[in-house]
Amino acid sequence: MEKISAWYDGEVTQQEFDSSLDELNASTETKKTLHQFALLSEVMQRQQKSSSKVQMIKDYFPGNNPWLSNIITAAATVLVTITILYQFDTNRFGVDDENQMQLATALESSEARSQLLSADQNVMDHLIHIMASNQPHGSQNISQDWIPVGFKQSQQNPAQFSNGRNNLFFHIENNKLNLTKVKYFQASNSWIYLIPLGDGRLLTAYGDVPPALASKMIQAIK
Amino acid sequence: MSTRHGEQMMVEQIKAGNTKAFEAMVIQYQPKLLSSMIAYTKSYEQAEEICQQTFIRVWQKIESFRGDSALFTWIYRIGINLAKNNFASSYSKNSSNTTSLDISEHDISNHISPETDLIDKESESTIFNFIASLEMELKTAFSLRELEGRSYEEIASIMKCPIGTVRSRIFRARQLILEFMNQENII
Repeated sequence: MEKISAWYDGEVTQQEFDSSLDELNASTETKKTLHQFALLSEVMQRQQKSSSKVQMIKDYFPGNNPWLSNIITAAATVLVTITILYQFDTNRFGVDDENQMQLATALESSEARSQLLSADQNVMDHLIHIMASNQPHGSQNISQDWIPVGFKQSQQNPAQFSNGRNNLFFHIENNKLNLTKVKYFQASNSWIYLIPLGDGRLLTAYGDVPPALASKMIQAIK
Repeated sequence: MSTRHGEQMMVEQIKAGNTKAFEAMVIQYQPKLLSSMIAYTKSYEQAEEICQQTFIRVWQKIESFRGDSALFTWIYRIGINLAKNNFASSYSKNSSNTTSLDISEHDISNHISPETDLIDKESESTIFNFIASLEMELKTAFSLRELEGRSYEEIASIMKCPIGTVRSRIFRARQLILEFMNQENII
């Protein structure tokens, strides 16, 4: 059975591969064991998905800004919980479940996960760039029409808007990511919205504002 | 030697019409695909049916698999397309339903209900407690393989031991966990 275990992991020679196939074909018990190996893997993968265990960039940035520290943790979490990355369609507020499912599956193999993270590296770079920026964000460019109902600008921080319970921060710059759809990420209680504007710029809104509150904002912007 | 290398051997055999290899592949990937389809459909029966259809398609279309992605990713895409088609079909039959397709799609993959799960959460927890109680060498080799997807060579390097030892440890861990699952009537 040790050979079947190695066969299951793809860690056998051609000769062992062939002989394992013969064993599998000849024995129901061996088939049952292989099935149980697969079932065990699935249980393990599911456990992995339900717990964040990688913090790839957390230590890369200084944690001198509490909110920054939190959002870096959040961004790091995005790397491992990218299963909850959604895309808004251009004219509907719907969730692209196929994308979500593909991502979830991609995470089941380290190779696919690596490809996936690589594909979204530009987005991650953008998030990191914004989170690491110490410059006040250009609140003068924020249209009042974009602010969710009930949110008011903070007197201490012009880039911050709050309804007393939830906080939202804005950042605008050229859309170097060439995004055409709104994307959003969730990490713990933080949400990050990337909203391409009609004039070629990209609005990044982030904070503890869930989609239910942010939907009107996104619709208004678009 | 690597997982991908093993996969290539498998694909080559299936492409050559080796039904033994195909059956082995089905046994290997069925739990993972079934779990994904249950998540998508929220129905064990529907998920099983889609899995069957998927593997039939895989057999029919394996020639078109170029190896650009992992084999399971390719299989999964077939499965999810079939699930979507099934869903669209049942949706059009229920045209009186005023909920939009997008909203419904959102709903169907939100949660896996305990009834449709492959192994319930309580049993999962029991399994993980048992794994935590395994000898450190076994637990480490097994976790590096199953959670990190490391190759035997990488694990050998990390654990500073021969590849043969890694192979034995991973097998021993699997053996003990499966024995435990059998004792506990989990499988």
